[in-house]
Order: sequence, then structure tokens, then C-alpha cells
Amino acid sequence: MAEFTTAVYQNEFLPDGGTDVNAIVTITCKGAGTAGQAGSGDAGEIVIVDTSGSMGPATMAAAKDAAQAALEEIVDGTWFAVIAGADRAMLAYPPVSSGPGMVRMDARTRQEGQAAIARFVGSGGTAMSTWLDLAGQLFASVPEVTQRHALLLTDGENRERPGRLDDAVNRATGYFQCDCRGAGTDWQVAEVRRIATALLGTVDIIPRPDVMREQFQEIMRTAMSRGVADAKLRVWTPQGAQVLFVRQVAPTLEDLTDRRTVVNPLTGEYPTGAWADEARDYHVAVRVPAKAIGQEQLAARVQLALGSDVVTQGLVKATWSGNAELTTRIDQQVAHYTGQAELAQMIQEGLAAKAAGDEAAATTKLGRAVQLAAETGNAEATTKLRKVVEVENEADGTVRLKRAVDRADEMALDTASTKTTRIRKEQPASQAPTAPPPTPADATPPAPAGDSA
Amino acid sequence: MTESDTATDPAATACPKCGTPVPAGARFCEGCGAQVDAGGTTPPAAAPPADPVDAATDDLGDAPISAPTRRPADALPDPAPAGRRPCASCGGEVGPDLYCTECGTKAPSERDHFTEQPAAWVAGVCDKGVRKHRNEDAMALLAGAEAGSRAVLVVLDGVSNSVDSDVASLAGARAAREVLRMPLPAGMGTPESRAAAVGRVLAEAAKAANTAIVAVTDPDTPNPASATLTLAVLEGTRVDVANIGDSRTYWLPDKGPGVQLTVDDSIAQEQIATGVAKEVAETGQYAHAITKWLGRDAPDISPSLGTLEVTEPGWLLACSDGLWNYASEPSALQDQIRAAGTTDPLALAQKLVDFANAAGGHDNITASLARIGPVSPPPPPPPSATTAAGAPPPPPVQNAPTTPTDEGAHD
Repeated sequence: MAEFTTAVYQNEFLPDGGTDVNAIVTITCKGAGTAGQAGSGDAGEIVIVDTSGSMGPATMAAAKDAAQAALEEIVDGTWFAVIAGADRAMLAYPPVSSGPGMVRMDARTRQEGQAAIARFVGSGGTAMSTWLDLAGQLFASVPEVTQRHALLLTDGENRERPGRLDDAVNRATGYFQCDCRGAGTDWQVAEVRRIATALLGTVDIIPRPDVMREQFQEIMRTAMSRGVADAKLRVWTPQGAQVLFVRQVAPTLEDLTDRRTVVNPLTGEYPTGAWADEARDYHVAVRVPAKAIGQEQLAARVQLALGSDVVTQGLVKATWSGNAELTTRIDQQVAHYTGQAELAQMIQEGLAAKAAGDEAAATTKLGRAVQLAAETGNAEATTKLRKVVEVENEADGTVRLKRAVDRADEMALDTASTKTTRIRKEQPASQAPTAPPPTPADATPPAPAGDSA
Repeated sequence: MTESDTATDPAATACPKCGTPVPAGARFCEGCGAQVDAGGTTPPAAAPPADPVDAATDDLGDAPISAPTRRPADALPDPAPAGRRPCASCGGEVGPDLYCTECGTKAPSERDHFTEQPAAWVAGVCDKGVRKHRNEDAMALLAGAEAGSRAVLVVLDGVSNSVDSDVASLAGARAAREVLRMPLPAGMGTPESRAAAVGRVLAEAAKAANTAIVAVTDPDTPNPASATLTLAVLEGTRVDVANIGDSRTYWLPDKGPGVQLTVDDSIAQEQIATGVAKEVAETGQYAHAITKWLGRDAPDISPSLGTLEVTEPGWLLACSDGLWNYASEPSALQDQIRAAGTTDPLALAQKLVDFANAAGGHDNITASLARIGPVSPPPPPPPSATTAAGAPPPPPVQNAPTTPTDEGAHD
């Protein structure tokens, strides 16, 4: 049985009249087990491969190989299906036209699935909405499947009437999770990121066919290790308070603020998807009515809920103080992730400005990104930024745009913009020993520094 | 008794060894001495096994040799737990994490402020005060439902420079209460005999408190938990008190002078005994240095005892120095009682705590009270209590059915 623990990092001291409370809440899962084995329902995996005509021979060969390797990683007993995506979505495996559209993995079905993948031929256009809709239908055809995950590979831009893909994404949101990968450089990062973000998945570029197999294996291994099917982040705030934002800040940056559903008038719920043995950090910002100096109050209860069961809870506090030494301190974790959030924003906005031809804005924003990446110790972002800009002064953020930039490097910078780094954590000071946590442990051991996502 | 055949023919059982008839219920044969109920057959219901009517007691007839004077039915029950109070700020429910589930206000811990009210006429409040960071005072009360029947007030004040004295004091208070759950013994009838018997029980209560304190003390700590103790037992018109340290019990009648029933074991008290003025001694450098205490390093845990007959309406108060620091003289406490203007013990205890907090609240505060006399809310105080102060007191009326007033109660 999975065990969850929570640690809260914050400066709880507010100056006289202060209202805004920021906290980083780290939730750690241990003993998650294997997908579909917790007894709460079966796991289902769907592999979606772009088989449009744009797929070149080398990419197609690599995609087939990678998809076959992905099937190897799917644990026996897991329900699975394979979709070939083009103008419309084809159910490549299992070969059925009615009834359950997925089969349980075993030696025979794995071999049959791999054989079906081997028969893929590239032709036609790209209509991703149909791919997602078919995946949803297949999951729905097997009621036992309660943990739903798909892997989507595309190499091109979506060719559909505007809005169709968004509608399909909305239909899939909250129903299944989807990790997305783009092969080559002819696909749109923003478009695919929108799918991945909504469907609680990751997005990345596969610049060369030879790394595809490894990526697919990794994605499927991770999916299989998620023994906790579906967890929700719950945030309680006191009467009269306002949630400013709720963001996942590690391992990747995901703004959850708009994805709130109401549990009760004081509590909202945000989707987090399935969990493996991992730690995720959330940045919660709450505005509370100011109280008199010396008063202490709870600004938020941050909980993880499986269904209606709250499995762990962290307390975000507010204490008003007249001691400026206490109130002016910014928690190191909060500062770090605030910087990482701005870093992601600067990278994405800078690349968008560059694409739009606004060189001045691109230079300013990417320069700021270089500065933030250095300040927050995000080595991966620094490396990727240096492939796009010439850095004159890292500390000042003075850069020049490179004239000749490999498009793959630009896309890699874009997809990696939401990956965050962690910094070393001290024992959280904000967890009072008197507050009885709903779980046995309430503290997380310090995470190693530079634990890149 | 499925296998028993004695039930069908109780009088005619024969000894299995020699054949001699054996009366029902007998365990050995009269003839040969053999055991006849070897199978463990219990005697039939016709022969009750009660000891008093066993053989050779017929000289006393049916009368029991003795009757228990401390029947289990006389044991006083624990006061009902007060339950978690609603949020002080918005009235919402307080969650298990000790914050309000509505407005998020931090609730004081139950240890930092708690009340007990075992009966309508007995109640107490134990409060952290303003300055201390935790509540090392403790209180444990008992009372019979009938007003004036029987009450037990136990107050301990944990010494703040010792480790875990908050845990220890509460354990000690409850252990002492356990000893006093049954009525006090009457001895052999003479006052001296009663006093000795009562003294022994009160000393046992102090010992039990001490044992509990030592039990929760870390055996390795160089700074073992220690506490004072004051306890008062009211039975009818009689009050018995025991004391160790500088917590106190007072008798504060509605009319006439009050009296401190306990004598502090403190440097201040020793100074007073040698002639130093009370107010000087109690505010001096060693005012709070106690000469006796409970705990692992206590040299002497025998309490000093006192007793008093109370026949008039008034209050029995057991309190810690967190209260009496601000009102040491009985008259000063009576002033506060009068100012509170209530005969509800819980309301009055809270008012006394509020008074001490308003005066600075430098220490933890405990006020536990038993009300002798009517408990109904008194009429509003007369408009000019000060002018009435000089008037001669009306003749004291025992068990007066009328509600006591403040008039002329001042001396």
C-alpha cells in the first residue's frame, strides 16, 4: 500500500497588514507498487503512433521499433491497444470491430501487437482529434480499466479545422493521461504541449530516430510503476481567503490554478493523475485577511486525496509579526521555484517573440532566462539556452541571438522549459509537532541538490 | 450443570467410596473423608456458597460481621470530558490538526486551557495564563450530583524549571483523585481516630500523586518533574485539606471573613513565621521558592493537613499561585467573587482566571471551586455596594433558602 508524506516549506511570518502566504508543499509517495495491481481496478495502456505520410522511412522504422519496445515494457495482465494515427485513427491491435477494444497483455498478444506495428505504412494527413477520441472509446470499452494512460508519437502539425483538437482534448481531460513525443522538427511544441498538459503527461522532442526506442521504454516503464491510479491535490483555505495560484513546480512546472473543482465551499481539488514512487512539489499561494500582530492562523490545508480519502496533509500557516527580521525573509524553496516559474515563462515568451520576428523582445526575455537559469542552478536550461543565444554576461542577462540555430535545439529548449530543478531542503520548520498528521510520518528527508527532472 | 445428578435428588447422594449418604453440597464424605465432588460439580443453587452463612457462624444469626462503609456505589464518577470547544474566533468546528475548519484560527491546546465540572455546584478552570508558554498547572475534580454532598478538589502546580512538569502534574492530579474517589473513612468514631484515618488517606493521595509524577519522569533527567499539591475534600459540612508547596485552599463564605486553610511550604511562609510582613515576604526575592514538593527528588512528601466545619453559604477554593499572586488575602479573593456576581462555579472560576490574566497572567492559573449554598444566579449587585459595606451584617442563617446577596458581606 502506498504511503504518502507531506512537508511544507514556507516563511509563515507576515508583516503587519500582510495578506499573501506562499508555500512549497512537497508530497512524497512510497510503495506505489505496479500499475493496475493495487486492487482498485485494472491498468490500460494505448500506444498511438503517427502513421501519416510525412513520416520518413527512417523515422517510421524507428517509431515501429520504439512502439514494439514499449509493448515489451507493459506488464502482463495490463489491458492494451495500438492505434495508427493519420487523417483518422485506426485500431491496429487488437483486430476487433465491436466489443472490448483492448486485450490483456500476455506473450501471445504482445507478439501479435508487435506484428501489427510491423505492418504500419505511412500515408495520409494528421488529425489528432480522432486519435484521442478513439483512445477514449477504447478505454471506455473495457470498464475494468480504471487507470488509463496513452503514449502519443507525432511528427507533424495537426491538420484540422481549428477547435477540433481542443474539443477532443477537453473530452479526454480527466479521463486518461497522455505522454506526448514529437519526432523531428516539423511539429508544434505549443500544440502538443497543450495536449500533454491537459492530459497530465509530459512533452519532449525526439530529435533523432535512434533515441526513440529508449524514450518509449522509459515512458512505459514510468507508466507501469504508477501503482496509485488517480490522486487529487486538495487545498482548503479559510473563510474569506482566496487561492492566488496552485502550481506543480517539480519535477515539471504545471499551473493547476484553473483546474480547480469544488469539493466544498472552502476546499478545491486539482488533478495530479497517477503516482509512482516519487516526490512532487507544489507552490500554493493564498491571500488571507490580515490579522493583528501575534495572531496565528492556518492559511491552507494542502492534502492529497485518493477518491474521498485524504492520505496526507500539510499545513500552511500565517503568523503576523512585528519582527522585520522574520517577516522579510523569503523561504529558499519559494524563492527558487518562483525563479523557475519565471524562467519557464521567459523561455517560452522569448522563443515565441523570436518566432514572430521580434528580436528585441526575444533578446530581453531570453537574456532574463539565462540570468534566472544561472541563479536557480538550472544547468539543463543553461545548456539549452546557450545553443540558442550567445551569452555575454550571465549575471546581467546580456545575450545576443545566434544567427544560425538548429531548430531541434530551439524546440528542445521549449519542451524543457517546464522542467525544474530542486534545491537542497532543510527540515521544514513550519510543521509543528503538535499538529497530528493523518499519516505516520510528516517529514521528508532532504532531497539531494540538483536532482534534475 | 448438565452432568450433575444432585439436582434431581439432592439429599440422597452416596459416597462413591464407602456408600455413606452425603448431604447435598458437601465436599467430603462424613464417613470416610473421601472427596465427593472430585468432578468439580458445583453445589446446587439450593446451597448458596456465601461465606457469612458458612458452617460455624450460626452464633451470630444472619447478621453480617461487618458491612462495608466504603461501598463501590459511593465512588464518585469522573467528570464528563468537556469535549473540544468550538473555535473561539468564529464558533466553527476545530479540526484534528487543532485549527478551525472554517476560519483557520489556531485553537488553544486542551492542555493549555481546560475546564472540569463534575456537578452543577463544583467546577474549575485550568489555564496557561498570559506569559508562560505552556500550562504546567493541573486539576482533577470529583463531585456528587447532590449539592453539598461530597466534592474533591485537587490542584497541582508543576515547577517550571523541571522537565515535562506539565505531563507530570496532570498525572499526579488524576492519581490523587483516584485515591479520593471513595468517601473518607470515619475511623473508630472519635474525632482523633477520624482525623488519623483521614490523614492517612490524604497522605496516600499525596503519595499516589508523587508515584505518578515519578512514573512519567525520565529516569535519566537531571531535572526531574516536580509539583505542588493542594487538595480539599468536602463531605457534608466538613472540609479536609492537605498541602505540599504553595498552592492553596481557601474557605470564602458569602458573609464574614474568609480563611486560608492551607499553610504554604515556602521561603516566604518561613519568613512570615519569623515575623516578616506577609506582603513583604510574598513579593520578595524568594517568594516562590518552595520548601516542599512532589517529585523524584522530593525529600518529604507528607502533606500538612487541615480541617474545618463549614455551615454557611460560601465557596471552597483550591487554586494555584497563578491566582493568589494577585489576591493573596481571603478578603481580596472575596472581593473578586463579589465582583463576579455569580454563584455558578464554572462561571466564577473563569472570572477568577480572567482576573488573574487581566492582572498580568505571569503564571499558569487554576481556580477550582465548590459552592456551598444556593447555586442559582444571584440578583444583580446592589447599585451602591460600597455604601452598604458599613451596614451591620444580617444574622447568619444556615441553609437559608434565600439567595445570598452582597449586602453587608464586607468586613
